[in-house]
Amino acid sequence: MTPAHFTFSSTFILGLMGLALHRTHLLSALLCLEGMMLSLYMALSLWTFELSSISFTPSPLMLLAFSACEASAGLALLVATSRTHGTDQLKALNILQC
Amino acid sequence: MHPTLLMMTTTLLIIFTLLAIPIISTLSPQPLSTSWPLTSVKTAVKMSFLTSLLPLFLFLNEGTEAIITTWSWMNSYTFDISISLKFDLYSILFTPIALYVTWSILEFASWYMHSDPYISRFFKYLLLFLIAMIVLVTANNMFQLFIGWEGVGIMSFLLIGWWYGRADANAAALQAVLYNRVGDIGLVLAMAWMAMNLNSWEMTQIFTIAESKDLTLPLMGLVLAATGKSAQFGLHPWLPSAMEGPTPVSALLHSSTMVVAGVFLLIRLSPLMEGNNTVLTTCLCLGALTTLFTALCALTQNDIKKIVAFSTSSQLGLMMVTIGLNQPQLAFLHICTHAFFKAMLFLCSGSIIHSLNDEQDIRKMGGLHQLTPFTSSSLTLGSLALTGTPFLAGFFSKDAIIEALNTSYLNAWALVLTLLATSFTAVYSLRVVYFVTMGLPRFTPLPPINENNPSVINPIKRLAWGSIIAGLLITSNMAPIKTPVMTMPPLFKLAALIVTVIGLLLALELALLASKQLFMSPKRSPHLFSNMLGFFPTLIHRLPPNLSLVLGQNIASQTIDLTWLEKVGPKASSTLNLPLITSTSNAQKGAIKTFLMLFTLTLTLVLLTLL
Repeated sequence: MTPAHFTFSSTFILGLMGLALHRTHLLSALLCLEGMMLSLYMALSLWTFELSSISFTPSPLMLLAFSACEASAGLALLVATSRTHGTDQLKALNILQC
Repeated sequence: MHPTLLMMTTTLLIIFTLLAIPIISTLSPQPLSTSWPLTSVKTAVKMSFLTSLLPLFLFLNEGTEAIITTWSWMNSYTFDISISLKFDLYSILFTPIALYVTWSILEFASWYMHSDPYISRFFKYLLLFLIAMIVLVTANNMFQLFIGWEGVGIMSFLLIGWWYGRADANAAALQAVLYNRVGDIGLVLAMAWMAMNLNSWEMTQIFTIAESKDLTLPLMGLVLAATGKSAQFGLHPWLPSAMEGPTPVSALLHSSTMVVAGVFLLIRLSPLMEGNNTVLTTCLCLGALTTLFTALCALTQNDIKKIVAFSTSSQLGLMMVTIGLNQPQLAFLHICTHAFFKAMLFLCSGSIIHSLNDEQDIRKMGGLHQLTPFTSSSLTLGSLALTGTPFLAGFFSKDAIIEALNTSYLNAWALVLTLLATSFTAVYSLRVVYFVTMGLPRFTPLPPINENNPSVINPIKRLAWGSIIAGLLITSNMAPIKTPVMTMPPLFKLAALIVTVIGLLLALELALLASKQLFMSPKRSPHLFSNMLGFFPTLIHRLPPNLSLVLGQNIASQTIDLTWLEKVGPKASSTLNLPLITSTSNAQKGAIKTFLMLFTLTLTLVLLTLL
């Protein structure tokens, strides 16, 4: 695997792990999500360039736009959570507990 | 029917009827008169004795033996039990002797117990015991023998605990029942084996069929039964404890009749034991050990009744040795002669005890030869008969046994023990006679010494006559089934006599040593071992029952209940399920972390399977 491939693959996996295995704050999950988005951006750019496919050239930029929307959605959820629960700690999100 | 047989069977059934009449007369609602014991019970026994002499003479004259089967009791398709009475040599000879001894004891008891308000009940118990004993002795099947066996056991319990206000008497009665019960296990084992393998409890059938089978198991059961009932070593402590009962009880049950029931059982079933060397050796060694151990214990006892009780136990061991020598007839001869002098020894002890105002310690008696000449003479006579003085009753049986022991190719250890026990017999007999009759009185002045009552004199006189001539009479009239060895070196022939004389001289020397002081302080340990009965009751009566009960409590109730409740049953399901439930509900708390973790996990798994 070329170093660039290796970099964004490992970033993606690390970000996934960080999303799944974070400990306390929701914000760290969202940050990891952003990290994953960035690695996906790099991946798309690299593949478009490698495969010399012209029609996929705008895809990284579209991904960035959608990731911005998604980041804002996540932040809105964060703000809503901190308004209702008073904290963004994940332990507070236990309303589904039996 | 042949006239002899008719006379025989009629008289034998009359004996049972005569003995049952006083018992049935107690069932009426009228209270009994105060002279009921003497007029009814003693007369019944006396009449039964005189009646039983007729079958005895018929047997001696013509050799008739009878088996009377009267009533079919339980009959199933494969197994029959009926009331069947066997009158062969053993029961025809034993019944008159038992009745004679009982007659004397009842007459004595009317004097001994005359101040007891329940004397009628006492006599009733004694009569019930006698009936049970006769049932045992005349039984032709094991079931009837078992009825007699249990009957004598129960009457022994009731009679030992006669003065039930005394804690020691209750403990002694309980000891008797418990030790007998352990022996009964052996008897029931033998009966069950016989019912299963020989299909019958009738003795004739048992003797016929049992030739071809391996009989070690039932015979060991019978030896266990004899160990319990006849106080052999291991199950012996109840016999000296049984001296808590009144002296007539000791004289009847625990010297002449009940304790010989175990030996009698082995004599009855001796045809089964003839081929089985294991069982014979067991009997031999057990008997030898018993006779030596109890004679050893008798050497240092201070209660006159306990000494006589241990003497009985020692003679029972000797009877067991004889059975181990495969000589049942000699054992039976010893039973018959022993009954006379042992009962007489007990009656003399009772007379002395009452005369000295209920004093039983021989260290507090003395000089009774001048004060109660008749009783002390009969005590001396009984002791001489016991040690086997030539031509008294005990000589014929005891000397024959020692001769048979000397001339047989058997266990030399058993022989040595028995000879040693014979010399000890002389020692403790001399000790009793020395302390009781000789020397100067060691009791407080003015005891109510009175032997002028004919109810005391006549029984002892009768038994004294028996002690003198019974041995001669029985051996002259009873044909031996096994030929005795007649020629042996003179040392063997005189072995019993030499050993007895040595014992006598040693005892005399020891008695005269009491006025000299050879050591600074006495040596305690041999005396203590003998006085504490070898520490057998001390060790066995507390520790093993305590251990068994604690074990039972811990294992049977607590551990098993605990296991069933907590490890196997309801609590186990809860304790096993609880961790599972906890971990499952921990995983399902609705936490986002869990969801995300599961997400990565499944993703990883899928990726791994795809790659």
